[in-house]
Amino acid sequence: MSKPLSVLEEKRKEAKSRLEKNGYFSDTKIYVGMATCEIAAGSVPVMEVFQNELKNEKNIYISQKGCAGRCNLEPTVEIYQKDKEPVKYIQVTPEKAREIIKKHIKSGKIITEWVGK
Amino acid sequence: MNTIKAFINDKEYTIDSGLTIMQACDSIGIKIPRLCYHPKLSISSGCRICIVEVEGMRNFVASCSYPISEGMKIHTNTDAVRKARKDILELILDNHPKDCNACVRDEVCELQQLASTIGLRERKFEGVRREKYVDDSSPSIVNNHEKCILCGRCVKVCSQIQNISAIDYANRGFDTVIVPAFNDKIANSVCTLCGQCVNVCPTAALTEKNYTQDVFALLNDKTKIKIAQVAPSVRVAIGEAFGIPAGNNMEREIAHALKLLGFDYVFDSQFSADLTIMEEASELLERLNGKGKLPMITSCSSGWMKALEQFHPDLIDNVSTCKSPMSMMSSIVKTYFADKIGRKPSEIANVAIMCCVAKKYEAKRPELAMEDGTPATDYVITTRELAWMIKSAGIDFKNLKGQDFDAPLGLSTGAATIFGVTGGVMEAAIRTAYELATKKPLENIDITAVRGNEGIKEGSIEINGKEIRVAVASGLGNAHKLLEIVKKDPERYHFIEIMACPGGCIGGGGQPYSGIRDLPFDPKLVSERAKALYKSDELNKIRRSHENPAIIKLYDEFLGKPLGEKSHKYLHTHYKQKFPKGIIRKSKEK
Amino acid sequence: MEKQLFTDKFSYVFGDQKFFKKQKRIALKNCGLIDPENIDDYIYAGGYTALAKVLTEMTPEDVVKTVKDSGLRGRGGAGFPTGIKWEATAKQQNDEKFVVCNADEGDPGAFMDRSIIEGDPHSIVEGMAIGAYAVGASKGVVYLRAEYPLAIKRLQKAIEDARKENLLGNNILESNFSFDMEIRLGAGAFVCGEETALMNSIEGKRGMPRTRPPFPAVSGLFAKPTLLNNVETWANISSIIINGAEWFSSIGVDKSKGTKVFALAGKITNTGLAEIPMGMTLREIIYEVGGGIPNGKKFKAVQTGGPSGGCLTESMLDTKIDYESLTKAGSIMGSGGMIIIDETACMVNIAKFFLEFTQSESCGKCVPCREGIKRMLEILTRITDGEGKTGDIEKLEELGNMIKKASLCGLGQSAPNPVLSTIKNFRQEYEEHVEQKMCRSLVCEKLLTYTINDKCIGCSACRRACPAGAIAGLPKEPHTIHQELCIKCGKCYRSCKFHAIDKTSVAKEQK
Repeated sequence: MSKPLSVLEEKRKEAKSRLEKNGYFSDTKIYVGMATCEIAAGSVPVMEVFQNELKNEKNIYISQKGCAGRCNLEPTVEIYQKDKEPVKYIQVTPEKAREIIKKHIKSGKIITEWVGK
Repeated sequence: MNTIKAFINDKEYTIDSGLTIMQACDSIGIKIPRLCYHPKLSISSGCRICIVEVEGMRNFVASCSYPISEGMKIHTNTDAVRKARKDILELILDNHPKDCNACVRDEVCELQQLASTIGLRERKFEGVRREKYVDDSSPSIVNNHEKCILCGRCVKVCSQIQNISAIDYANRGFDTVIVPAFNDKIANSVCTLCGQCVNVCPTAALTEKNYTQDVFALLNDKTKIKIAQVAPSVRVAIGEAFGIPAGNNMEREIAHALKLLGFDYVFDSQFSADLTIMEEASELLERLNGKGKLPMITSCSSGWMKALEQFHPDLIDNVSTCKSPMSMMSSIVKTYFADKIGRKPSEIANVAIMCCVAKKYEAKRPELAMEDGTPATDYVITTRELAWMIKSAGIDFKNLKGQDFDAPLGLSTGAATIFGVTGGVMEAAIRTAYELATKKPLENIDITAVRGNEGIKEGSIEINGKEIRVAVASGLGNAHKLLEIVKKDPERYHFIEIMACPGGCIGGGGQPYSGIRDLPFDPKLVSERAKALYKSDELNKIRRSHENPAIIKLYDEFLGKPLGEKSHKYLHTHYKQKFPKGIIRKSKEK
Repeated sequence: MEKQLFTDKFSYVFGDQKFFKKQKRIALKNCGLIDPENIDDYIYAGGYTALAKVLTEMTPEDVVKTVKDSGLRGRGGAGFPTGIKWEATAKQQNDEKFVVCNADEGDPGAFMDRSIIEGDPHSIVEGMAIGAYAVGASKGVVYLRAEYPLAIKRLQKAIEDARKENLLGNNILESNFSFDMEIRLGAGAFVCGEETALMNSIEGKRGMPRTRPPFPAVSGLFAKPTLLNNVETWANISSIIINGAEWFSSIGVDKSKGTKVFALAGKITNTGLAEIPMGMTLREIIYEVGGGIPNGKKFKAVQTGGPSGGCLTESMLDTKIDYESLTKAGSIMGSGGMIIIDETACMVNIAKFFLEFTQSESCGKCVPCREGIKRMLEILTRITDGEGKTGDIEKLEELGNMIKKASLCGLGQSAPNPVLSTIKNFRQEYEEHVEQKMCRSLVCEKLLTYTINDKCIGCSACRRACPAGAIAGLPKEPHTIHQELCIKCGKCYRSCKFHAIDKTSVAKEQK
């Protein structure tokens, strides 16, 4: 019988290749908070903005995430870009999301006044 | 058995292991005050009256459930424990009406007795009380929520002993109540009205529906012929309500007292028990000869009949068509006896004194009514209600000389006496069936296999070379178990006796409340009552129903023969499936 | 490994350094970092390694020993040593055993369990599988409250995905170990978070606590040996297995190891969930992680442990967060609720608020809780209504102490805590309410007096708003309030646009 650890190692490789296929290793990754609290704060339309406006973009991976525990700052959106420090936008609205796409994602300019202080 | 050493109130004791603290204390003569605890029921530790202090434990410990262990140091009577118990009881009483002397359980109330034991001398909190709500929808049982202290014994006896689960807790916290399913009324529920909940209730939250005022009014009605009948079990229990030890047969005192109360005739349900045996034994022989379904099941117990219609409709054809002795008596009184005294049935009022609260419901069954639609049995009162009426009318029950039941419907045999105890109907039926079938006397008429306090009993007897296998169940929980066996193996028995109440009618829901500080519904009490009935049987010169001269005369003059045309008209009935709340109607049954 | 960047990420993020820096994320390690609905994310982030590890290299006894040595204690409230529970359940000889996850998070304001299940559901699946292996169980049940639909959906998906990957089911990861689990929904009774009531509820019975002993480890769900832990406890397991007992016990203090997730709520700048190493002081949590009290108000009290915890004062802010210290200070760890109260709050009213909750959530089984808490609440209500009587405070203490010692389950045993601790720490406020009919924080409506000051321009807005007809005055002239008619509803106060109505509470003369 093969050892569970090696079975899991196989599974991890498969998981990685599936993630790869789905664009998980893109240069830009956007995580939108989608726990109940985030949804209550309005994260669903924010998520829709990112998904709709960026649906034709390659090399961008959009995912939901759980709650990181920052209630009063929700909805939160984190943007990871290769070789850069992650950026967390707070109290994001659909309008802010569009701006973030325009300025940060497309032009590389962090909108510092919307970043958690 | 292994023993352990433990300290109770600073004294060292050697105690059997595996006991709870309460049991251990009982064994050394310390009876810790208790309320919701009952040895026959599961332990819920809800009332917290039986708390004790155990050294090393932060909180009080409920002694009813906590196991005693080696070296444990227990204190049952410290200031802190006494104070906490008092506080807890105060909390219970603060949510309970202050109407003790206007309460039906005055003097026989466990809560009242506990308050005196604990030494409660004041009421502390004036606040919101439980909502007033009285469910008197059923003809048998009344549920007064205001008096309920939520000890849960009724819930447990109904589910654990009777396997009916007609009532349970609903709502939360302070709003908790005990109600039938869907918060509906008892009348619409699956409650079989056996009254075991009434037996174990420590207060007047669950009581029988009281008809004593109606009966007093009837007794003052000069236009009526007032006729009483007395069930076998009443006579061996009623004494307890007057401080007479359990197990004394008071039938002569009862007959005397009923006359003093104003009844014109006092008859004995034992007469109609003999009559039931004539019909039922004949029915059994018919079924054994291929006419009708086997096993045959008895039909005397009203609680069981309601359970049958709700939970075992598939067995309706197995149940004897005989009416109960009470209903047979009422029928015969309003026909045969009415003729004899030259009165119309409408001029006669039948009052049945029963150990049972379900009989109140039976009396109202439309299929048992007289031809003109009026009930055959006008009122049913319990042993408890009669005891109160006797006291209330100023009758000195203890010192009565006593007298006989009236003829002809007051004559009975020993076979009828034992109807009151589980297995008794079976034993009486076998005595008669054997002799009717074989035309030979039964040598040993004490059929001990069906005697005793066990919930389910089995036995067999040979009749004309054929082995007749019988079974007896008392308590609906046991009945349910037995019937499950029957449903799997229909050939296993020929004849089955079922009584709704544990121990049979002597353990009925209408029997006197236990004495001061005694456990309600104590199995010991029930066996004392049983002993008294068996003793009366033994002392009776006639011990076979078919030898009762009054019965022979009744058949000669009126009925003809068992299972004859008149018998069918007056002594037999039929049962129908019923659908109370909670029983799901299958489409084909609509 | 890329994962490393992820775990340290919190402190990289702008603006959140203070909030995250002092935290140590173990139970919440993946929350907010992975896609909770994608098992690949979890596996790629190192998930199920702990399960594979126990199945490959460890005997059940090793696992129990590791958990025991780690010093982990139950995160649901009472803080019972987890390893001892595991050991007791493992010791039982029985064909069938259960592991149960208590996810009936009922404390108002506490949401760490929801957050974990919504953000990292596989950590629960993995933790429970490890627990099942350790104690010899083959079935698991998560008792999850129906009020958490998203958590239900995500956990259900996690269970199904894990089954597909053979991380649940027969012969997990090709080993001899088989285990599966299901979700049972709780219908929102607070008491069902009590372990024995929870098991009754799973069995389809009314959610009322059972008497203990027997403990669940001996006779639990369906009378089988049952290992029951809270969500946060389960979420700690995989990290303990991977990093070892020594690593875990190096975090925290003396008898309280590891971390605890707190839900910061109330009058605090950073509301949210914070996972804090045991031993941090309340001051650090409130002023550093939590960012202090907003709007320039003064700190008054902190209530820890949910509705049955106690209120601690400023002088206790250096209390360390661990089970023993909190208990000693007069509160409890509980499930990790932390409500910060500022000077605007009335402590009597706060106590009443918590007692209202426990009173309505009492199951009704035992007398002290069912009847006693109701009476305590009645006394508190009359105190806040200005009808308190001399002796009421003593009555509350007496009743509260009895209920604590005599109740059947943890709900009743802890329900009086908010009252007893506020009496202990803020007795003067109680006395003011009872003796002087005064509420210094201007919270208790019935103790307030409304008067009109000289800013009144006679606009009549208050007169129109008053439902009692207690305000008189001609238009454009200053109005007055007839105190004997005033019902203290506060409508005038809210209707006035000119700050012309004063709300005061002054000591009344003692009768």
